[in-house]
Amino acid sequence: MNGLHGIIFSYEQEPGLRELAERRMPASIPFGGRYRVVDFMLSNLHAAGITDVGVVLHGNYQSLLDHIGNGKTWDMARKYGGLRILPPFADTRAYRSGEFRGKMEALAGVRSYLQGIRQDYVVLSDSDLIINLPLADVFAAHLESGADITAVCTANGGFVDNATYLTLESDGAIGQIWCAPTAPRGHRSLEIYILSKQLLLTLVDECSAQDKYSFRRDVLAGMTGRLKLQSYVWDGYAAQLRSVQEYYDRSMELLQGSIRAELFAAARPILAKEDDEASSYFAPGSRVKNSLVADGCTIEGSVENCILFPGVTVEKGAELRDSILFKGTCVRDGVTLRYVITDKYVEVLPGRTLMGHESYPIVISKGSIV
Amino acid sequence: MKKECIAMLLAGGQGSRLYVLTENMAKPAVPFGGKFRIIDFPLSNCANSGIDTIGVLTQYRPLELNRYIGNGQPWDLDRSDGGVHILPPYQSAKGATWFKGTANAIYQNIGFVDMYDPDYVLILSGDHIYKMDYAAMLAHHKRVHADCTIAVMEVPWDEASRFGIMNVDGEDTITEFEEKPKQPRSNLASMGIYVFSWKKLRAYLIADENDADSSNDFGKNIIPAMLNAGEKMSAYRFEGYWKDVGTLDSLWDANMDMLAQGSGLNLLDKDWPIYARAESEPPAYLGETAEVDHSVVTRGSEVEGAVRNSVLSQRCTVAEGAEVEYSILMPGAVVERGARVAYAILGENVRVGENARVGASPEAAPPEEWGITVVGPEAQVEAGRTLKANRMLNREGKEMVR
Repeated sequence: MNGLHGIIFSYEQEPGLRELAERRMPASIPFGGRYRVVDFMLSNLHAAGITDVGVVLHGNYQSLLDHIGNGKTWDMARKYGGLRILPPFADTRAYRSGEFRGKMEALAGVRSYLQGIRQDYVVLSDSDLIINLPLADVFAAHLESGADITAVCTANGGFVDNATYLTLESDGAIGQIWCAPTAPRGHRSLEIYILSKQLLLTLVDECSAQDKYSFRRDVLAGMTGRLKLQSYVWDGYAAQLRSVQEYYDRSMELLQGSIRAELFAAARPILAKEDDEASSYFAPGSRVKNSLVADGCTIEGSVENCILFPGVTVEKGAELRDSILFKGTCVRDGVTLRYVITDKYVEVLPGRTLMGHESYPIVISKGSIV
Repeated sequence: MKKECIAMLLAGGQGSRLYVLTENMAKPAVPFGGKFRIIDFPLSNCANSGIDTIGVLTQYRPLELNRYIGNGQPWDLDRSDGGVHILPPYQSAKGATWFKGTANAIYQNIGFVDMYDPDYVLILSGDHIYKMDYAAMLAHHKRVHADCTIAVMEVPWDEASRFGIMNVDGEDTITEFEEKPKQPRSNLASMGIYVFSWKKLRAYLIADENDADSSNDFGKNIIPAMLNAGEKMSAYRFEGYWKDVGTLDSLWDANMDMLAQGSGLNLLDKDWPIYARAESEPPAYLGETAEVDHSVVTRGSEVEGAVRNSVLSQRCTVAEGAEVEYSILMPGAVVERGARVAYAILGENVRVGENARVGASPEAAPPEEWGITVVGPEAQVEAGRTLKANRMLNREGKEMVR
C-alpha cells in the first residue's frame, strides 16, 4: 500500500512547562481555547488522508488516553488499522523501566508494530507541535525528491531550546545537523520526518544493535554521508511548546486574525473532541474585548486579551486581562487577574487578585481554590 | 433484542408555517439556541432518560435531517443493539403510500416496533423545545397501570382554547379530551407526548387503519377512540419549560426565552445536557470594537460589531459598525459593516451586505405592519437594501409580506 503511516511520539516531559505538565504529557495540555496540543498533529494526519497512526507513549499519559480515546474524533476508529496506542508495555525487553532516551529506542520498543505497518512510508512527529501543515504536500515532495529522509523545518519563530537545527544547501538538501545548539544555526527542524517503512526498520535494527537511541544524533547527524536528507521548508505558523513562557506567548498570538486564519484553515480543520457545551452567554454589563471565548461560558464581568476555554464562569465585577482560563475555571465577584493561566476547574474566590507578568505568567494548578 | 420501551419520533411534518426556513429542510433540522437544532431536544431527552432505541419518522425534505442524525453518535445513540433509526415511508408488498397522519406513520412501522418487542412505546414530536425525563413519565404510566399516558402542562386559562385540553378526575385520569374548546373546563394542555402500552396501541392502530373515515391522527382519532372504549388514560403533569416552535413567531419567542433568566429554559445547565452534532470550530473571537450584551455567541463566530439580545450560532460574523438586536443568526450568517439587523431571523449562510437594513423594532413600524423579518437560508440582502419589518426573503431573492 503506497500510503503514509503516522507515528506520534509522546514520551518526553518538559520541565519548563511546570504546572501545566504536572499531571499530563505535553501532548495533552489544553491549547487555543478548546484543543489539546496533540489535536493539531492528529488533525494534520487526518487532513492528509492518513488513517493508521501509532502513538508511542511513556510517562503520565492517563490524561492523553482520556483525550484520544479510540481516535474517533479524527476518523481513526477503524476496523483495520486506525489509531493504536503503543504504551511501553508492548515489548518484552527492558524498555518499560526508565524513560526512553530517544526516538530510536522508543521505536525499538514497538518493533513488532512497525513490522506490521501496511503502508510503504512513515511520518514521524512529536506531539508538542502546534501547526496546520499540508502533510500531503510534504509527502508528495518527499516522493518527488527521491530522498531517504525528508525533514520539515522552518526559519521562523525564533530560537527554541533543545531544538535540532539544519544547515540547508541551495537545492534544499540538508548539509549539517546541529543538536541542541545554544544559538540558532540555519533552519529549525519541526521534528517531522518522512521515510520509507523499510528504511525505518533497517535503522531501528542497526541502532538497537549498537545501543544508539537518538534519531537526530545517531541517524541524521551520524549518517549524513550515507543517507540522502532533504528539507521541506515551512513558512507558516508553527509553535513548539517547551516552556510556560513559550506556551503563553504562542497562545496569545492566536488573538491575531491572520494567525487564526492560517492555523484554523477551513480546508484542513483542526478536530477536537466535542465538548458538548451550549453557546456562551454574555450578560448585560459584561465587557469582552480582543478575546477568544469557547462554548459553555457565562460572562458577567470584564475580559480583555484573554483566552477562555469551555465552561468558564466570570462573575460580575471580575476583571480579567492577558490571561488564559482552562475549562471550568470559575472566577468570582471582584477578582482581578493579570498574566495568569488557570488550569482546569480552578476557582478564584471573591475579591482575590492574582498577577503575573508578561515575562513570567503564573500558572494555577488544576482544581486549585485560590 | 427485547426493549422495555422504545421511542418513535415524528419528524415528518412539513413545517410549512416556518415558510422560507423549511423550503429545503425538515422542521426538526431547523437551528435553535445557537448550538442546537430542534431535534436535539427530544434526542437528548431520550439519551438522558435512558431510552436507547429511537425510530425517527421522516418524510419531507429529509436530506439535511438524515445527515444531521447520522449514526446518532452525538447523542450516544450509536448502539450495536437499538440506537437511532431513520424510518422513511417505504414500499411494502401491498404498495407504497406517504404517511397519511401521525398514527398512520406509526402503523406503517409496526414491523420496526415489533422487532424490539417493547412493553411500552413513547411517541414524541420533532418540533418541541423542552427538557423532560421520559423515565419519570414511564414510571408514572406503570404505577397507575395506564394504557396510555399523556404529558400535560397547565397553561394560562385565557390561552387554553388554543390547545388540546384534557379534563381529568381527582387522580388525573383523563375523562375527556377536547381539541381547542371554546369554553375550556380545564387548563391542562396536551404536549403531544404519549406513552402507550404497545399491545393496546398496536390494536388501535390496526383498527384505525381499517376505518376509511379516519384521518389517522393520534389527537383526532386514536386518543378519542381509546377514551370511548374506556381504556385507562392518565395525565402526567409536567412542570418546566415547553414550547411548540412550529411557527416563526414561536421559534423567535423560544430563542428569546432561552436568553432570559427565569424562563425555565437554561441550556448551560449541566444536569440535563442537550447534545448536538457540531463541526469543530475554533472559539468565538470578540474583537476590540465588539459590544455583546444579553446574547449568546457560538464557536467559530467573529464579532466586531454590536450584538444585543440576540442569538449567534456557529460561524456567524458581525462586522465592525454593524448592529444586531433581538435577532437570531443561524449558522454561517454574516452581517457586514454598517448593516443593521433588528427583530429578524437570518437563516443559514445568509449574507447581509454593507449598510443594509433588515427588520425593525416594534416602535419603528405601525402595529398592523410590524412583525419578525425572516431571511431564508443562503439568501443575500444586497448592500444598502432595506428589508422592512414583517417581510420574508427567500434564496431566489423573492421578497414577500408574511
